[in-house]
Amino acid sequence: MLDPSRAQRYRRHDLIDWFSQEQVSASRIAVIGAGAVGNEVVKNLALLGCGTIDVFDFDTVELHNLTRSVLLREADAGRNKAEAVAERARDLDPNVDLRAVPGDFWDTLSLRRLQGYDCAIAAVDNFEARLKLNQMCMIARVNLVNAGLDSRWAVIESFPFAASDEVACYECTLPESAYLRVAERYSCGGLRRRASLERRIPTTTITASVAGALAASAALRLGGDVPQRAQRRLLDTLGGAGSAVAVERRDGCPGCSAFLQPPRLVRIRNRWTAHPEDASDDVVAQPLQLSDALVTGYECAACGPLAQAAEYVNRRAGDFDDGIAVCPGCATPSVRVEIRDTFTVGELSARFGERRVPAKFALAEIYGGTVCFDLEEN
Amino acid sequence: MTQSLKLYVRTADQTRRAELDLDAASTGADIIQAAVDNWALPADTDYTLVNTTTGRALAPGEDLGKGVRPGDVLEVQPVLVAG
Repeated sequence: MLDPSRAQRYRRHDLIDWFSQEQVSASRIAVIGAGAVGNEVVKNLALLGCGTIDVFDFDTVELHNLTRSVLLREADAGRNKAEAVAERARDLDPNVDLRAVPGDFWDTLSLRRLQGYDCAIAAVDNFEARLKLNQMCMIARVNLVNAGLDSRWAVIESFPFAASDEVACYECTLPESAYLRVAERYSCGGLRRRASLERRIPTTTITASVAGALAASAALRLGGDVPQRAQRRLLDTLGGAGSAVAVERRDGCPGCSAFLQPPRLVRIRNRWTAHPEDASDDVVAQPLQLSDALVTGYECAACGPLAQAAEYVNRRAGDFDDGIAVCPGCATPSVRVEIRDTFTVGELSARFGERRVPAKFALAEIYGGTVCFDLEEN
Repeated sequence: MTQSLKLYVRTADQTRRAELDLDAASTGADIIQAAVDNWALPADTDYTLVNTTTGRALAPGEDLGKGVRPGDVLEVQPVLVAG
C-alpha cells in the first residue's frame, strides 16, 4: 500500500488497467551504462516510480554527450556519468531509491548484488560489456534486457533468465563478426590491443529515447505476463516499422551451451591458504576456470627473467595492454607473456595463499554439473 | 541429392529484396555475407538474420533447411552496439 503523497503522485497510473504501481514501486533495476540509452532508461524508470534504480558507469561526461543525454547538463562535464545521472534523476521522484555506482561494473557489481535485482539493463556501447553482463545474468538467473541503437534503428532484446533454464542468451544469435570485433580490441589472452581503434557510432536522442522507453518497459514487464522466451524487437525510428521475433537457444552457443543447467552458485571465501590436511587429492587437483585470465609468466626471450615480472604475474591480463610484451631491458617485443584462465585448487593455493584471486568467479565441473564459485564476497 | 529452397531475402528497411533459390544446406551466415557483398551493405556493421514469416531469429550457423520453408521471408537486421 502506497502512502497518500505517493498515491497522489501516481494516481494517473492507477487509471491504467494493465499498470500496477505497486509492482513498479517494488521493482529493483540495475542500469549498466549511463550514456544516451542509460539516460533515457533512468528517466523513464524514475518517472514511473520504480522502487530501486542503481546506475553503473565508469565514464565521465563530455560535451558531445549532451545532445543525447536528457539528464545531463553542461555543468556536469568531467563528472562521472553514473553520479550525474543519478543526481538529476532523484529530482524527478524523490521516492525512488537511486544510487550511482562509479567504476567498471565488472569490478563493482558482484553476482550476489546482481541477484538482488529483478532485471539488469545493458545500456552499454560495446560487445565486450554485453558478453560479460550476459554471462553474469545467466549465472545469477537475473533477467537481462539489452538495448542497442545506431542513427536510425533501435533494438531491444529480452532474456528472461529468471523464468526458465531453457532461455536463449545474448550470444545465441550473435554473428561471428562480432567476436572478430572483440578480437580487434583484445588479444587471445585478453591483453588490450594498443593499436585498436574504437568504433564511433553516431546516434541521436530519437533512437536513444525509443530504445530507452522499450528497455524500461521490458525491464518492468509492463502490460503483460512474464515472458518465458527470449525476444528481439527491432524498430525503425524513421518510418516506425518494426519486428518482434523469438530467439531460441542455439546448439554450440559460446555463451550458454556449456551449461546444460545454469551453474549452481556457491559463495566461498576468496582466500587460498594451503589446503588443510584433510583436503583430498581430488579437491587439490580440481580444475577451476576463472572469469578473468591471469598473467602467469613474464620472461624475455633475449634477456631472460625480468624483475618487472612481479608487476604483472598473478594479475588480470585485462588490466594491461600488449605493450607489456616490449622488454624493458632490450626494448624489443620479445617478452613471452604467459596467460591462463584455468588453474587447479592446488595451484591457486600455491600462487595466492592468503591473497585474493583477482577474478570475479570460478567455474568448476563437479558431479556432472557446473558450479560457479563467487569469489568476490568474503 | 541436395534440396533447394525458394525464399525471399530483404534488408530491414526493405529497400533491398531478392527472391533466391538456395541450397538447403546454406546457413544464415552465408546469406548475410551474400547480402553484404551484393547489396553493398555497410561492412562496419554486424548483421543477424530473422525469419519474419515464422517470427524466429536464425542462429548464425544454422542450416536453412532446419528452420526455413519455401516462400519464407528472411530479413537481414543490424546488430546494434551503441548505447
